[in-house]
Amino acid sequence: MTYIEVGGKQLELNDEGFLNDPEQWNQEVAAILAKTEEGLENLSEEHWAVINFIREHYEQTKLAPMVRSICKTTGLPLRRIYELFPSGPAKGACKLAGLPKPDGCV
Amino acid sequence: MSEDTRKDSYEERISGLTSAEFAKALQTFCDKIDIGDAAQLNSCVHCGLCADTCHYYLAGGESEALPAYKLNLVSAVFKNQHTRLGRIAPALTGAQALDADMISRWVDSLYGRCSLCGRCALNCTLGINISRLIRLARTTLASVGLVPPELQSTVSTAVDKGNNMGIPRQEWLDTLQWLDEELQQEVSDPAAHLPIDQSDIRLFYTVNPREPKFFPLSLLATAKIFYAAGESWTFSSDYYDVTNYGLFSGDDQASGVISARLRDSMHKLHANTLVLGECGHGYNANRWEAPEWLAGAYGFEVKSILEIIADYIRQGRIKLDPSRNQKRVTLHDPCNLVRLGGIIEQQRFILKRAVSDFVEMYPNREQNFCCGGGGGQLSMTRFAKRRIESGRIKADQIRATGAKIVVAPCHNCIDQLSELNKEYKLGVEIKTVSEIVADAIIIGH
Repeated sequence: MTYIEVGGKQLELNDEGFLNDPEQWNQEVAAILAKTEEGLENLSEEHWAVINFIREHYEQTKLAPMVRSICKTTGLPLRRIYELFPSGPAKGACKLAGLPKPDGCV
Repeated sequence: MSEDTRKDSYEERISGLTSAEFAKALQTFCDKIDIGDAAQLNSCVHCGLCADTCHYYLAGGESEALPAYKLNLVSAVFKNQHTRLGRIAPALTGAQALDADMISRWVDSLYGRCSLCGRCALNCTLGINISRLIRLARTTLASVGLVPPELQSTVSTAVDKGNNMGIPRQEWLDTLQWLDEELQQEVSDPAAHLPIDQSDIRLFYTVNPREPKFFPLSLLATAKIFYAAGESWTFSSDYYDVTNYGLFSGDDQASGVISARLRDSMHKLHANTLVLGECGHGYNANRWEAPEWLAGAYGFEVKSILEIIADYIRQGRIKLDPSRNQKRVTLHDPCNLVRLGGIIEQQRFILKRAVSDFVEMYPNREQNFCCGGGGGQLSMTRFAKRRIESGRIKADQIRATGAKIVVAPCHNCIDQLSELNKEYKLGVEIKTVSEIVADAIIIGH
């Protein structure tokens, strides 16, 4: 089990680096996961647009959004999403937004 | 539920199994063993040659990962059930009852240290189908609800929601419509589009749900190839998922439910050929296993998309310019497609015509090493560290080729290879065959 320290609290990550309890998420958590999991020192406005949309979608539906919805909402082209998050929408963007790992071949 | 709670409750389930559940598990175990399995369960001579065939053992060196050890876990229970000496004097024969301790060892080694890749079976001096017998043990565990929860979740989502990522129908259709625009730009034809629910067509094309959900460029690539070939084809609006994780969980009943859907879609669409997208286990499950689960032959043709693309090239239906793919390319052989599926040369035929610098990794074809992501490993977070460690063998193979692009005709492998790329700093791009072909295709030749 790995831990990250956020605001003086130890938060648990699972063996794939996803937040163990999605309810513990906040933007500070995202910024730390960006560094430790994705090697991103700074998150740009584009990163935040994607992360915040994924988080809002998750809070409403308990699901990760389709990449189409991410593109339509943020106005970013599809190929840009893969540039922004080297591990892709699931293991990159959804992880930073504090979602559990999706089912399927991911 | 947090991961930790999930882990505890799974382990508590094992220690709290009732005698009725043990009896049910044993009944499943005995029912599933046929005479050939029984012979094989008595055949291992412990020669040890399987050790070097297993990527788990090669990467980690733990005896619990030895194929002969894993086989022995299954044989021990068989001997305890089916041989007189094994019942009377288990210690003398290596027999052991299927108790909670044995079940924990089964879970740890047979779910947690095996990707059902079949490499040990191919190289076994006695021809023991070790991976089949390991799956049989998984079937036993599945019969009493002991599939690791993360793997079970993917199977349940497929059964309950119609695809393994639970994509709602409208979102699937919206994504296809969105891709229409991309395809039109790609081929400079405002009339180009992705057909849905066309009937009386030649091909029904099936996909891995992670394509529409997160990685639709591979769908676009295949649509471009069909467009260039002038193909008569369709997607289906309801059941289109090529995956079947029941193959990995061992749950034959769920496997049957899932595979019946593609058969029913074929009948609904009156298509000639069921075309399986680039998915290793989806090919094995739908091409070879499904008629067993469905207890009857399909009555229609089943092909891999690789066979279709290779035919287009042979027949001159598409033209490729290999100079458009200049970087060095190597090929990963997905176990379920190649060793267990028999699709071996088509992808090589295609790549030699689609790229300028193609190199093999070694070993290859049916002797390939598993990437480590198969057998449900990609789902089972509790065993993720072992999965990444076992993938070191594949990472070393890739690095030795000097390739900049790894082509993998399997989305499950692609996900694992992407993680290996990051973990072992390989610095490669990973693509499907369709993507590399789409990059080389000459539109309007």
